[in-house]
Amino acid sequence: MFPNLKRDVGFPVIGSVVLFLALFGGGLIYQTILNNGSAERLVTTMLIDAIIVIGIQIYIGNTGILSFGHIGFGAIAGYVFAVYAISPEEKLKRIPTAPFGLTDTQVSPGLAILIAVVVTLVFAVIVGIGLARSGAQSGSVAATVITLALLFVTHEVAKSWPELTGGNRGGISFAIGESLEGRALILVVLFASMLIARLYGQSRSGRLAIAAREDSLAARAMGVNPLVQQMAALLLSVVIVSVGSSLRVWQIGSILPDRFFFDYAMLTLVMLIVGGRNSVTGAVLGVAVMTGARELARRLGQDGFEVFGLGLDEAPLDWVFRENLNSVVLGLAMVGFMIWRPTGILEDWEFDQWLYRRFGRGTQTEPGRLAELDDVPAATFEASGVSVAFGGFKALTNAGMTAESGEVVGIIGPNGAGKTTFVNVITGMVEPTDGAFSIDGVDLTGSASHELSRSGLVRTFQNLRLFGALTVRENVEIAALVAKEHRTERTLRDVDSLLAEAGLWEHRDRRARELDYGNSRRLELARAAAMAPSFMLLDEPTSGMSDSESLTMIEQVRHMAATVGAGVIVIDHDLGFITGISDRIYVLDQGQVIAEGTPDEVQANARVQAAYLGSAADR
Amino acid sequence: MTELLQNLIDGLGRGSIYALLALGVAVVFGIMHLLNFAHGELITIPGYLTYWAFNQGWNWWTVVPLIIVSAVLSSLLIERVAFSRVRGASDFTLLLTSFGVHFIVAAGFLLYVSASVKPYPRPGWFADTIAVGSLNIEVFDLAVIVVTIIVLAGTTWLLQRTMFGLALRAAASDFDTARLMGVKSDSVIRGAFALSGFLAGIAGVFWIMREGQVTPTAGINPMLQGVLAALIGGLGSLRGAVLGGLVLGLAEVLLRSWLPVGIQNLTTGFVFVMIALLFIFRPGGLLSVPQVERV
Repeated sequence: MFPNLKRDVGFPVIGSVVLFLALFGGGLIYQTILNNGSAERLVTTMLIDAIIVIGIQIYIGNTGILSFGHIGFGAIAGYVFAVYAISPEEKLKRIPTAPFGLTDTQVSPGLAILIAVVVTLVFAVIVGIGLARSGAQSGSVAATVITLALLFVTHEVAKSWPELTGGNRGGISFAIGESLEGRALILVVLFASMLIARLYGQSRSGRLAIAAREDSLAARAMGVNPLVQQMAALLLSVVIVSVGSSLRVWQIGSILPDRFFFDYAMLTLVMLIVGGRNSVTGAVLGVAVMTGARELARRLGQDGFEVFGLGLDEAPLDWVFRENLNSVVLGLAMVGFMIWRPTGILEDWEFDQWLYRRFGRGTQTEPGRLAELDDVPAATFEASGVSVAFGGFKALTNAGMTAESGEVVGIIGPNGAGKTTFVNVITGMVEPTDGAFSIDGVDLTGSASHELSRSGLVRTFQNLRLFGALTVRENVEIAALVAKEHRTERTLRDVDSLLAEAGLWEHRDRRARELDYGNSRRLELARAAAMAPSFMLLDEPTSGMSDSESLTMIEQVRHMAATVGAGVIVIDHDLGFITGISDRIYVLDQGQVIAEGTPDEVQANARVQAAYLGSAADR
Repeated sequence: MTELLQNLIDGLGRGSIYALLALGVAVVFGIMHLLNFAHGELITIPGYLTYWAFNQGWNWWTVVPLIIVSAVLSSLLIERVAFSRVRGASDFTLLLTSFGVHFIVAAGFLLYVSASVKPYPRPGWFADTIAVGSLNIEVFDLAVIVVTIIVLAGTTWLLQRTMFGLALRAAASDFDTARLMGVKSDSVIRGAFALSGFLAGIAGVFWIMREGQVTPTAGINPMLQGVLAALIGGLGSLRGAVLGGLVLGLAEVLLRSWLPVGIQNLTTGFVFVMIALLFIFRPGGLLSVPQVERV
């Protein structure tokens, strides 16, 4: 579950303790200085908001899907909690005819929170399935609207079902003295939320979700099923949001539909965005910053330009410092950050990971060279009779090929020959009209991208698709995580050794998006190799490279493939590169395989020369 | 039968407004992949101007042009101040920017006007009906439907028959290529926002008349209906947006008349559930534009 216990469990624990103490300590200091009831309430509110924002961070941060719906989930949890925890006497006043005999039911608050979590989870599963069906991925517009609709439905139902919710007027409230006193429970839950959020981010599921956030297609090509990880992140985040929302209701002592609606969704989102949505440290910082900014704005709005005893009374600024200034501040913070710093103050800087790099890792030495694998099970890739027609246009007719582990098979053809279509078929992007392909006789036709790579056919992309925000090492680690689960029959190579083999050791802590072109290509190769593939499918690996770079690439491809014992299928239009790297070559032209053989045989073939050089051979 | 016809006309009237809103959302989405959560502000801002104008002694004849013009100008202003600065940013950033704009506008009215409801008179003919056989057709619905047909016809002409329309459609299908072909990105984006503002202005005239009042958060409902309708129709498809609007309007009215009396006020909730089901079975919306995953 955790690739590296020290980095992924130990330091997150230390980090969470520090983060918790910083937030709570800061609140205590503020409260001590002001020493009044309103400051105390502000700090309590901040602590509860922090729980909910951290809960939301687990989903938005790790999946990149913008959700308004978490406050809708909060509303569900809040009402379920209230209806179960409030005493029958109080409910008789507001909701004497609640359905399911709920008016007379009362359980302990702890049990009520548990019920709230379970009920909300049921809704979360349903919404999660809807999100998955809508093809949710990072930045998905449709997914966001679904979550927005959820927020509105819960609000609408809360308003229009007064028999259960008390409606918009009175809501339902705890008897005086029965609402949550003291902070012990809030603090425990807050610390637990921080820790859970950090542990999830470092866990296998969290890492895979983050990979899909960075590049859904590339993640799927590495055997990640984003939908599974998104659902996991959703359910975990809903649990925390539900507990936080129950505490919020309990602490305030009552619930109204508007408490969990647009304004609160906006507040929690701004908190998350300002600090940096991709990091838990950022979420906590955002809560502190926005709580402070709003409080300041509120005071400025109330007292004019006079705050903490500093007075500038006769102000030409009266038009700014008015009541409700704090809601304008929210909107301005949102738009301002989106324009100038959309990733928030901390981007994805995580305190405990910084601590780990700084103090936890010790000195590292570059691992030694790996011996080539010679005991890997032999594998055969076979495609036969593959045809693809788009309407009347036949992009591919009866194309077939085979490849054995240990060999490099090239596919070449001029533009429009059907290379891309062929790649799309064997990477699961296009369903063939006819024909099939398989590894070791296991039919893979029609499999999804992530299933193909788990079966041993791992691809790279013509236009580089790395997980840009992740470090070089993390990119390779993602693939290794999947391989550990799904490629158990193969010899798995150590991540650091693969990095060293690829010549990326010194760059291992840099973000992938900072690499130059050649290193990016090498990283993509190392990442594919870490999947322990039976076959690596390289889609135009030299596009954008000079001739000399292409020559070095030939060595690197062959070396990496031998290191993990994989066969290579390489597609390119550069005749020099293909003949230089391949043991055997298939030549495609106008959707058909027109020649097959060793580089020498193919180059001597008259039809190939005609297709490539346009000579008069058969014209 | 009579009741059904009656409902159909009510639904079409309601749906026409949604269709205009959705079309405005779709035009902007097509051009810069921005799902505009601030679209409702193109009704809030004219709404407050309406309230102001009536206090100044204006009447509907002068207020209607005011609404349309102010909607267009607001749309252009919002583009200039906010959206032009996040062009080409990720969808996540675009969504939150528009959400933030909604909030700033709403909070601005809260700050400078007040949270309370600001009323203004509805037009005198608002509640009039015309009897056709056994049907009682509301003049308002009739006006909405007729105006919508005219506006949609005009928009179709604009998009299909003018250079601007061609540039807009080209930019919507492939922005970079359109620019290489000489389409000026600034003017086409501003044009799209102006068109979106104009459509919101027409919808706004009827929305504002029907509401009879305005609050700082008045934009939320029209925004939501417009966005949902665009999504029901299939994001990226202009025809889909219109269809989605009509479907949404009809669904609301028909559902309200079919639901048992006790739970009628849950209509909106049921509409949302139906929309959710639609997405589950047809994720791309009614007229989904095939999205080819680029490798």
